[in-house]
Amino acid sequence: MNYGITEEQTMIKDAAHKFLAKECPAEFVRAMVDDERGYTDKIWQGMAELGWMSLLIPEEYDGFGGNFLDLMVLLSEMGYFALPGPFFSSVVLGGLTVMEAGDADQKQAILPGLAMGERILTLAWTEMDGLFTPEAIRLSAALQGEEYVLTGAKLFVPDAHVADTIITAARTGPGETDVSLFLVEAGSPGLTLTALTTMAGDKQFEVVYDGVKAPKSALLGELNQGWAVLRKVQLMAAVAKCAEMMGGAQKAMDLTIPWTKERVQFGRLIGSFQAIQHHLANMLTFKDTLTYMTYQASWRIAAGLPFEKEASMCKAWVSDSYRQAVAIGHQVLGGLGFMKEHDMGLYYKRAREAEMFFGDADFHRELVARELGL
Amino acid sequence: MDFEFKPEEQKVLDDVEAFIKAESTEEMLAETRVIGACYGGKLGREIIKKLASHGWLVPNWPAEYGGLGASAKLTFAIRDTIAYHGLPASFVAAHMAGPTIMHVGSEEMKKEWLLPIARGEVEFALGYTEPQAGSDLSSLNLRAVDEGDHFVLNGQKTFNTHSHVADYHWLACRTDPDAKKHKGVSMMIVDFKSPGIEVRPMITLADWQTNEVYYDNVIVPKKNLVGEKNKGFYYLMAALDFERMFPTGGYRRLFEDMVQYAKETVVGGQPLSKRPLVRQKLAQIATEMEVCKLLFYNLAYILDTGQIPNYQASMQKMFATETAQRLTKGCMEVLGLFAQIKTGSKHAPLAGRVEWMNRWSIVETIYAGTNEVQRNIIALRGLGLPAN
Repeated sequence: MNYGITEEQTMIKDAAHKFLAKECPAEFVRAMVDDERGYTDKIWQGMAELGWMSLLIPEEYDGFGGNFLDLMVLLSEMGYFALPGPFFSSVVLGGLTVMEAGDADQKQAILPGLAMGERILTLAWTEMDGLFTPEAIRLSAALQGEEYVLTGAKLFVPDAHVADTIITAARTGPGETDVSLFLVEAGSPGLTLTALTTMAGDKQFEVVYDGVKAPKSALLGELNQGWAVLRKVQLMAAVAKCAEMMGGAQKAMDLTIPWTKERVQFGRLIGSFQAIQHHLANMLTFKDTLTYMTYQASWRIAAGLPFEKEASMCKAWVSDSYRQAVAIGHQVLGGLGFMKEHDMGLYYKRAREAEMFFGDADFHRELVARELGL
Repeated sequence: MDFEFKPEEQKVLDDVEAFIKAESTEEMLAETRVIGACYGGKLGREIIKKLASHGWLVPNWPAEYGGLGASAKLTFAIRDTIAYHGLPASFVAAHMAGPTIMHVGSEEMKKEWLLPIARGEVEFALGYTEPQAGSDLSSLNLRAVDEGDHFVLNGQKTFNTHSHVADYHWLACRTDPDAKKHKGVSMMIVDFKSPGIEVRPMITLADWQTNEVYYDNVIVPKKNLVGEKNKGFYYLMAALDFERMFPTGGYRRLFEDMVQYAKETVVGGQPLSKRPLVRQKLAQIATEMEVCKLLFYNLAYILDTGQIPNYQASMQKMFATETAQRLTKGCMEVLGLFAQIKTGSKHAPLAGRVEWMNRWSIVETIYAGTNEVQRNIIALRGLGLPAN
């Protein structure tokens, strides 16, 4: 067993921490909530220069050729600083989907630009049911002549407003898993985006497809073979989100613990009260355990081992634990943490969104039950 | 990172498993249940001595003391395997006293005790708790008076599990009543056959026995003093740090059998396992058991990288024992009315093991340092919070 990260991963982590501490303070996070676009060219270019968008991309496509553990340490720092912007949509959702589904030509056409940060992707999966099941994919893609015509609507599509390409999961047959993936270019006629106002102020959209035309070459991977890709991407994305949550949990602790060593009530530091100490012991337990679960699932993905069970256990555990850790932080901070100007609220809102992202704890427990053969 | 066993480690674990399957008997397992999985029963000693002959009782000890010089990781895995299969899993000599002797004992004491312990030939019982000294262990006052070449002991211990089956008492006693509480305590090894010792049974809710132990002018030779006089409390606390770990193998076994039962048992026209709430409950327990595994092997990782766990050991104990309680509670909920039927009835699911282990799990969060004490340790050592 080895619970440590490599020297190289430590360097990635330290560099990310340093960059984000400077470029992504809480004021920036708040400003980007109010900003329509939600990030700046300056920070995006800075991230690209540090090679973050290329981290996971294979070397043959001008990437860094890193593995999932490298990504995990980077995402953890992004979670720590609550980084806004389309990194997750583009690199994790878009990049993983293209790498899993695309043929060599498609990868060659997309991945180098993605790696440079010049091309932004996103993934449009869920619809009006809000479910991650194949039958909930109703948006249809019908072949008419040499073109596919997409009709329907997607909901909760992250960063669709800045994506150059919206990878769209569409129904292409009557069978339950007759689902295919399409590369839909931004600005295609018939595509309408409406922003959703969300708890954390991240940018999610309703995307309506009114007879959107896509050439045959826009089919990403094989016809009717999209579901297996989505299933795999879902689990990897869920673990990637756990890595963000891991960083967020650390930040929640850093916002809470020092305060208990300063604040005096009844003539004592509040951190000396056992009522507080037991809360914080629980908080540390949530933080440590969600970290180890994220490590294990990420390691299995990186090592090329089967990861279905561990990934779902990870998402179920981290979803519940991060929320509870932040809740303890709020309780210990008292009224202070309930004020909008205190940063704990940023993490509360992100914890609530992240726990739903790509399957909440109940959803993943059901997958665990299947893995147990129940 | 790496969360798997290497092939050579897996080979040892397979050998241990094969050994246990070949040597286990129903009688031995029944005896072990009755004494709360403590080491010391007649049949338990037979199988453990054989297991120890392979070096598997203390794999992480150096070869000169009867071990294999193995990693903490492999050692932890073997202990978990032993617990999984229902063998005696609680060893005071091998896992508490032995390591302390190795760290602080004289050469003479190491020579006298370590090899017999490694071979499973002797077992100790913990002699810590007293009626007025539970969580506040430093208040113990079983008195040991220095009489030159020996000590004379008087006083009382309570909740001393193991004492009726072990050979020796691993005793914390007060040698300096005038010093500050934790500065006047010494550790001694006391032969239970010494005149003046009386062991009285106390029966637990889980039907196994713990004991009160009375000392009436018991003579203990000086050579049985462990390390230095009046340093005992520090030895005791250090022993908790480098050896404290809670294998959940026994509970994992129960859970696996529960999963199988849920698949096979039809209730109301469908298998239990097809009920959504049952699926959620069992998946949650499985997830918590996975967390237990990661906390458990993190302790081994810390040891194998040359560090000493501190708050992490408290966290592992706390989490594992609370998971054990949630596990047996969850299994009872899945079984419904049948969960209350005790072993022996044809209606008892899983031979009544859920009913029994649910009762047993009550004490898990209490002994070996209550979970409140563990949370104090996590807060003080893990987070550097101020003491009261």
